[in-house]
Amino acid sequence: MYAGAPMKWVPETIAYDETFDRSATARPHYRPLVATLESFTLAEIDRRERLQKLALVDQGITFTVYGEKDGIERIFPFDFVPRIIPAREWERIEAGLIQRVRALNLFIDDVYQDQRCLKDGIIPPELVLSRREYKRELLHVTPPRQIYTHVVGTDIIRNDKGEYLVLEDNCRCPSGVSYVLENRNLLHRVFPEFFTRYPVRPVREYPRLLLDTLLWAAPRASENPVAVVLTPGIHNSAYFEHSFLAREMGAYLVEGRDLIVEDSYVYMRTTGGRQRVDVIYRRVDEEFLDPLAFRRDSMLGVPGLVNVYREGNVAIANALGAGVADDKAVYAYMPALIKYYLDEEPLLGQVPTYVGLRKDDFAYMRDNLSKLVVKTTGDSGGYNMLMGPFATRKEIEAYLAQMKRAPGGYIGQPLIELSSHPTYVDGRFEPRRIDLRPFILYGETIRVLPGGLTRVALRQGSYVVNSSQGGGSKDTWVLAARGA
Amino acid sequence: MLSRVADAVYWMGRYLERSENITRLLLVTEDFSTETQGLAEQVAQSAWKDLLAVFPSAQVAPPTSAFAPMSQAYLVGFFLDPGNQYSVHYSLRKARENARSVREALTVEAFLTINETFRTLDAHSRRGLTDPTALRDALSATQKGLFATIGAIAHTFGRDESWLFLKLGESLERAYRTALVLRAKLPALGGSEPRADVALYYTQWRTLLRALGSLENYRRAYGARLEPDLVVPFLLFDPHSPRSLRYGAEAVKDYLQRLAGEPGPALRLMGRLHAELSYHDGGAAAGAEQVAFLDRVVDTLSQAHDALGVQYFAT
Repeated sequence: MYAGAPMKWVPETIAYDETFDRSATARPHYRPLVATLESFTLAEIDRRERLQKLALVDQGITFTVYGEKDGIERIFPFDFVPRIIPAREWERIEAGLIQRVRALNLFIDDVYQDQRCLKDGIIPPELVLSRREYKRELLHVTPPRQIYTHVVGTDIIRNDKGEYLVLEDNCRCPSGVSYVLENRNLLHRVFPEFFTRYPVRPVREYPRLLLDTLLWAAPRASENPVAVVLTPGIHNSAYFEHSFLAREMGAYLVEGRDLIVEDSYVYMRTTGGRQRVDVIYRRVDEEFLDPLAFRRDSMLGVPGLVNVYREGNVAIANALGAGVADDKAVYAYMPALIKYYLDEEPLLGQVPTYVGLRKDDFAYMRDNLSKLVVKTTGDSGGYNMLMGPFATRKEIEAYLAQMKRAPGGYIGQPLIELSSHPTYVDGRFEPRRIDLRPFILYGETIRVLPGGLTRVALRQGSYVVNSSQGGGSKDTWVLAARGA
Repeated sequence: MLSRVADAVYWMGRYLERSENITRLLLVTEDFSTETQGLAEQVAQSAWKDLLAVFPSAQVAPPTSAFAPMSQAYLVGFFLDPGNQYSVHYSLRKARENARSVREALTVEAFLTINETFRTLDAHSRRGLTDPTALRDALSATQKGLFATIGAIAHTFGRDESWLFLKLGESLERAYRTALVLRAKLPALGGSEPRADVALYYTQWRTLLRALGSLENYRRAYGARLEPDLVVPFLLFDPHSPRSLRYGAEAVKDYLQRLAGEPGPALRLMGRLHAELSYHDGGAAAGAEQVAFLDRVVDTLSQAHDALGVQYFAT
């Protein structure tokens, strides 16, 4: 906790604190917020926090936790202390993200067309071609306008020097954007005082931008294309978001059983008969999209959908096969790929990564496991990883045995001291680790939503911010440039 | 609109209406049974039994104490029991589940009110409320919550297909339950003449009107006189009272008509039923024909329900 609690703030962690410097002085862009917070009594802050929790339940802003029998609808904990990003910092992040998404898209296009990057030895072919996310049957299939990554969520962290580093790209169906919008609404209601002294850039535009992005991808752009959101259904953990986005865009929210393929087109079953669908914003895992092409046991998909896609009669966002790009091992090659495709230096740094596939890297990983964070390339959501510095000797040995069976399936990274941020926990302000997931839309141009999801590890000392692992979220403010 | 969504919205309309219906019947029957329990226990008992004919539930639990009023077990069973598929709790939960599964087709205001109303009710159910006065309070609060929900829907929904399917479910459920209430109550009531206990006799007719939310509308039409040969035609044929059978059949017919597409079997059934109720000669209102007529109304409405499912939901 911050020493001399509750209202005195001296960060005690070695991490970079977003709000206070080492001498416990608020950084300039946090000063008005700290002053506002200090004007409240603790009782008043408590009252506001209760108000906020109630609002979440009343509005049904919930996510579903798998494997829990009771009360499957849970609220995603929200922390009311906003994370603030000054205009100048954001400009650099934004430019870096646009560059990165351009390169990611060119990479995917290359993988499914000429495979130049493999022939030129930029990235080992086996690393790309052996992955489950690589869809051989889509070779030489070009999606409308050659866009693969319509929506990208890139996770960014700050190291102990405060540098922004990319941790991971999500090119399939990144989720969380509904919380970005709802967190802002909530903070408006609970702490309107916060907003009086900051030029906070609005995030409300997102659904309109998303709809534009989807319609831009439509195969028959001129004739009032129909876009739908495809959800696995009400039991999916992100169902609230699917429904939220459909509602905000005024688009149909469909399940697999609502769609049917006939004569190389996709239709939905409506009360007035069948209606053609042009763009599918899929929030269903690729493997479940079409039982005829991928997993046969899928009940969530649409038989024949992939064929319609190959014929170019329906757009799918994100494109099928886009998952090759967000692999944790491909990540290690991103700086090289950016140089290769764009002839530019990467604007955003990233975390040094050891790839199990490379012999030398694996040897280093084997000898230094107690210093590394090791992840499997196939998993996400913080599952199946080894936090070397916190693991027991036994755990490390067991993990190593597992690694030796498939070295190519692992990557290792040094532990990054994620930046910390004041967070209201049990009636006190305490430093907790955070990350940032901005959302990037690839339509007529590439646009970055000014904001993003700041996730916070609510457990003391924890580095894991995933909602499935006890994480919460914060409102994220990007400030407008003064006088602009 | 999507067939699946239309189906869910239709059922949301039915369950909302059902919740309000059960709530009102419970409040009215509780009132009646408290008033008559000491005077004529049999009459009070059969008022509750009639409820089982309208909402064919499993047996309700026995009262918790020897001094508990007769109504207590019924109130708990029909209001808070999550396992009784004709309880308010069950119906409102279903309405909310349907709403939640098609949230994108609703307005925020409608969802918020239904969510809040259910959560309050659910809290009562979890606490295991049994005190009769607390039950009454909670029932009244639920009724208010339901009215707020219905109001939010009326004030915020676009008059598109979602609206039409929701109102279709609501009006069909209403007409159907009205017919069942009449079918359960009229034979016993109509057969009896004002006996020694004239006050009780009229209390029963007044209760019937209240049970169907029609007492005040009736008084506006006929004043305070409660004559059976006025009350029965009013509940069957009145063109303006929102819970008369004629009004109900007309509403169902109208919503079906406004839905796009070819007129289907459901519309034909409802058109004929409405015509019959509009151009009646009074014969169906009394005597031996009454029961057969009400049976036919119930049957027609359930056929219409099946037919519209085939036409719109199973595409």
